[in-house]
Amino acid sequence: MTERDRLNVTRRTVLEGAAAVAAGGVLPASFPSIAAAAEETHTMVIAAPATPQSLDHEFDVSLGTIDSVGGLYDNLLEYEKVHDPKDPEALREDISVHTDRPYNLALKGKLAEKWEVSPDGTVGRFTLRQGVKSNWANELTADDVKWTWDRKLHLNGLGPFQTGVLGITKEEQIQVDGRYVISFHVPKPNPLLLKQMVNLSNPVYDATKCKQVSSSDDPWAHKFLENNTAGFGPYVVSQLTRGQQAVFKARADYYRGKPYMDTVIFKEVPTSASRLSLLQGGSVDIAQFLQPLEYITLTKASGVKVDAVPASFAIWIELNAKIKPFDNVKVRQAMNYALPRDDVLKAVYHGLADKQTGCIPIIYPNFTDKFWTYDTNLDKAKALLTEAGFKDGFKSTLSYNAGDPVQEPIAILYQTSLRKIGVEITLNKVPAATFYDFVTKREQPMIFYLDSPWVPDPGYSTQLYFNSKSYVDYSNYVNPEVDDLIKSGLETLDPKVRDETYTRVQQLVMGDAPWASLSGRAMCSPGAPTSRASPTTRPII
Amino acid sequence: MALSPNQPGGPIWSTGRRGAGGRARFALRYFIQLLRTHPVYAGGYVIVAVVAIFALAAPLVAPYSPITADPSVYLLPPSFSHLFGTDVTGMDVLSRVIFAPRIDLAIALVGTGLSAAIGTFLGALVGYHQDARGVPRFLSGFVMRSADVLQAFPVFVFAIALVAVFGQSIASVVFAIAFVNIPIYLRLMRSQVMNIRRMRYVEAAYVSGMPDSYIIRRHVVPNAIAPVLAQLSVNIGWSILLTAGLSFVGAGVRAPTPEWGSMIATGFPNIMTGQWWPSLFPGLALAVTVYGFGIIGASIEFMADPRRRRTLANAGGPIRDPGE
Amino acid sequence: MGTLRYIGGRLLFLVPQIFGIVLVGFLLVKAVPGDPATLMLGPMATPDSIAKLRGELGLDKPLPVQFIIYINRIAHGDFGTSWQTTQPVVEDLAVRFPATLELVSFGLLVALAIGIPLGIVSATRRHRVLARIGDFYGLVAGALPDFWLALILIYVFYSLLGWMSSPIGRIDVMLLPPRTITGFYTIDSLVEGNWPAFRSSLAHLVLPVLTLGLVNAGPILKTTQSAMERMLQADFSLYARLCGLPEKLVMRHALRNALPSIVTIVSVLYGFLIGGAVLVEIVFSWGGAGQYAVQGVLNADFNPVLGFVIFSALFSLIVYLVVDLVYLAIDPRIRQ
Repeated sequence: MTERDRLNVTRRTVLEGAAAVAAGGVLPASFPSIAAAAEETHTMVIAAPATPQSLDHEFDVSLGTIDSVGGLYDNLLEYEKVHDPKDPEALREDISVHTDRPYNLALKGKLAEKWEVSPDGTVGRFTLRQGVKSNWANELTADDVKWTWDRKLHLNGLGPFQTGVLGITKEEQIQVDGRYVISFHVPKPNPLLLKQMVNLSNPVYDATKCKQVSSSDDPWAHKFLENNTAGFGPYVVSQLTRGQQAVFKARADYYRGKPYMDTVIFKEVPTSASRLSLLQGGSVDIAQFLQPLEYITLTKASGVKVDAVPASFAIWIELNAKIKPFDNVKVRQAMNYALPRDDVLKAVYHGLADKQTGCIPIIYPNFTDKFWTYDTNLDKAKALLTEAGFKDGFKSTLSYNAGDPVQEPIAILYQTSLRKIGVEITLNKVPAATFYDFVTKREQPMIFYLDSPWVPDPGYSTQLYFNSKSYVDYSNYVNPEVDDLIKSGLETLDPKVRDETYTRVQQLVMGDAPWASLSGRAMCSPGAPTSRASPTTRPII
Repeated sequence: MALSPNQPGGPIWSTGRRGAGGRARFALRYFIQLLRTHPVYAGGYVIVAVVAIFALAAPLVAPYSPITADPSVYLLPPSFSHLFGTDVTGMDVLSRVIFAPRIDLAIALVGTGLSAAIGTFLGALVGYHQDARGVPRFLSGFVMRSADVLQAFPVFVFAIALVAVFGQSIASVVFAIAFVNIPIYLRLMRSQVMNIRRMRYVEAAYVSGMPDSYIIRRHVVPNAIAPVLAQLSVNIGWSILLTAGLSFVGAGVRAPTPEWGSMIATGFPNIMTGQWWPSLFPGLALAVTVYGFGIIGASIEFMADPRRRRTLANAGGPIRDPGE
Repeated sequence: MGTLRYIGGRLLFLVPQIFGIVLVGFLLVKAVPGDPATLMLGPMATPDSIAKLRGELGLDKPLPVQFIIYINRIAHGDFGTSWQTTQPVVEDLAVRFPATLELVSFGLLVALAIGIPLGIVSATRRHRVLARIGDFYGLVAGALPDFWLALILIYVFYSLLGWMSSPIGRIDVMLLPPRTITGFYTIDSLVEGNWPAFRSSLAHLVLPVLTLGLVNAGPILKTTQSAMERMLQADFSLYARLCGLPEKLVMRHALRNALPSIVTIVSVLYGFLIGGAVLVEIVFSWGGAGQYAVQGVLNADFNPVLGFVIFSALFSLIVYLVVDLVYLAIDPRIRQ
């Protein structure tokens, strides 16, 4: 999907948290004179790898866009927050299965006040909060939601996946039932119906404004939304200079109250080393996406706090099932046995990653690691290769992303290890931009991939990567039994049935080993504790 | 007739009475004299010799394998067991620095060799037929304008584009280097040839009925060669830098092939976290090597300049220049 | 009158040269693998949406047609849009070109300040030690990889000694750049009277300018040295000395005659560094034109690359023209 994890992804949740604290005690907004005298403008500066290319998320999945969309737009629902078990100061979304809660989820309303799913599971009805204004002062109505989803059906960008996974193919399936009531009608009971409303890919646009700025050759306001905000979120974009910086200003009329940070500046700093030095020097408050060693250096520095929590983000190597010898399951298993995971976790990630012992993120519901057998074992790898008929090994190519500094060392470590069992691989460095071209073309025998499925649901995750018809099945994995199982799991709401189904899916997939499973990266966020306001909960990403 | 010192590149070895052997012997004695009186030049030759030895005998000299990762010893600072420390995958920096000339030197030599060969050939033709009429004139013009266009291209962007087009491999880097250097030799040779063509002895040969090819081969080329050699030497150094630059941007050789530029690039993020050795040593080796080639170029220039050669003759005793 | 005709002739000559450059550039850029449509839409894109975008970008037409379309557009001043920045290339370059120019100009100034004096001293060989240093420096400077030197300088002056502020970008992260007049942050902030911006942009220039200056002083030094040597041993210098002119005057005359060579090397360096400073730009995240073009090549973003190539070629050619005019001015022999 996109290179973004699931944990507390949205900057707005951070800032709202900080806002709550601020309102609670540090800089009381109810004493305007004191606030004015203090002359604090609460600016947060973030060093990011890239500014958003486009703010229209329909067409842009770049990092900068995701981050921005999170702050500029709101969803219908969100997950409740809990403290991370290992890092109590970090908040994370509660995505576990709660059998005692309605629909087994710990949800909170955002733009939606009430929500219900019909007993047969085919209709999801949402009652919107009233009096919510967009940044163009238009009130939120069901029309906005309808327009947003209709747009997905028409524009053919990311939309089709979001609608397809719910089984929505026609505008008629999204109905306006009242000024503030909207309903979604899906053909089969779909466990993702509510989860999709939390998905960052599905925020709500201000349809009134968008319709005003549309034209006949741009009926869905694509040009406008590329550079402007029309939504109900806490921030608006005030300046967007691509390649340099993006500036977001807080909205005083945000329905949850003005966010604590008045201004958020995203500065584009392409090299992680530069982002590190900016943080160390105090020029920025948060530095995103540093290298593992850089995080470690920061943990030793004073004035910087690093929070590291397990997330849904994982990195693995696709083994292309259509290219010999990876069409042979024993070879793929051998490749898994030969991968020096512990070395990689130590030398490349410095402990900031865990082994990926399953095919869906460790923190997702229904995850199980009981089918994991692939701890590094070169003898087993060699034996498997011999069984498969490759006693003398074979040659292949591993492609990796030049723009991701961890991939080359991992590739080199893997190469050395494979040499020991007679497998010679050539390393193919691909420039960052053409890298996705390579991945999506599915012509490489082995290629790295990093990703995080956005909806914390085993059906969603497996559908992405292991459904033979999925666009994202980059390893060309085909197993009809798995296809059927995934599908059936997406058509029932019964948590027990789903558990059994997806356990079986994981069993099959782990046996088939379409990937050389590597690691789940921890989501790290180093930030300078803002001494100006000292929020008790540190800002984290 | 004394040659005015303002006229560089005059006939070095006139087509005189001694044969090629005699000329070579004199050249050698001048050379040794040069090294004796200017130890800096000797230093340059030593540097290049050492680098060449590394390139050829790397497996014998290097303590570790340059492409085998050993994650248990990653990012160790310089120590007795690893004189230059280790990099992020545990590979020994010293061994990689020693193996790198194989690639860097090979690319530079082949690349500049190719460009020199093509460039001087074209340049000689173009310069010789400069005043001709008809087709040769038109072709000369075309070649020169093409060279102009190629040279107006920003070198670095051009090289990266070429590597991107042909895929990441040693061959494409060689090709890129060869391509961007051709215009240099073309121009150099052309201007040399145009100068020499006006010399009396060339006129004499022409008048006595020698064919063009003979004149070019026997008179023009040997006299034009020295500046080309000097340029070649400097160019090799510059090509090594270009290769390193390409690798730094990510358009160079494949990992984990040891190559100075890519080593510097891989070590770049480490500088900020305090590990300076993965980038420092390859850069030093690079600078020293290029410096060595630069000195060789300077020495060739020295030898080619009759005035400065005279200082050698005076300093060292009786070596008579056959041409004067 | 003759001068005007000369300029006119040269300018006329520019046109076919630019055409040739555009042609070569176009072919080259189209040969680079990578489909902008796929890259723009990312891994989630369906084949339909990709096809639609390719149609919009005009990528499905045959190559010669695309070329003619492109020529037509640039003749009207439309250099296309960069899909990475979604801005028109002209606007992007309007910011980045001055950034590179500022860096390169200051760098060359420093290089001249180091190279010419050292070159003169080495040529006259009066101070033996300095002359030796000059010789050595001339060779070493050209051998140093500029990106490596940049890294070393950052390490020493920033990480180790802490003298320099953050080595990133043209101005402090928290300050807004001055209003654009020339695009040079230093000049613009001076004009505006914006002292914090001026100080910050100057501070951020120090390390990259030092890098470029140190490295490029080498060729300048060598050229100055060899030109001065030649001039000092020329007949006119000998004659001047015989006539009893003081050495200082002899030197001045020699220097004046050596100027053409120096001017040549500076113009060559100027033209080269517009694209050649890219590595330094990358290390310092400068946001310059060379960096812009390199990103374009690596990301199959054609318009920036072509736009950059054309503008830098134009720039080089104009610099050469100016240089030739300067020759006309300083060398009386040519004027006849």
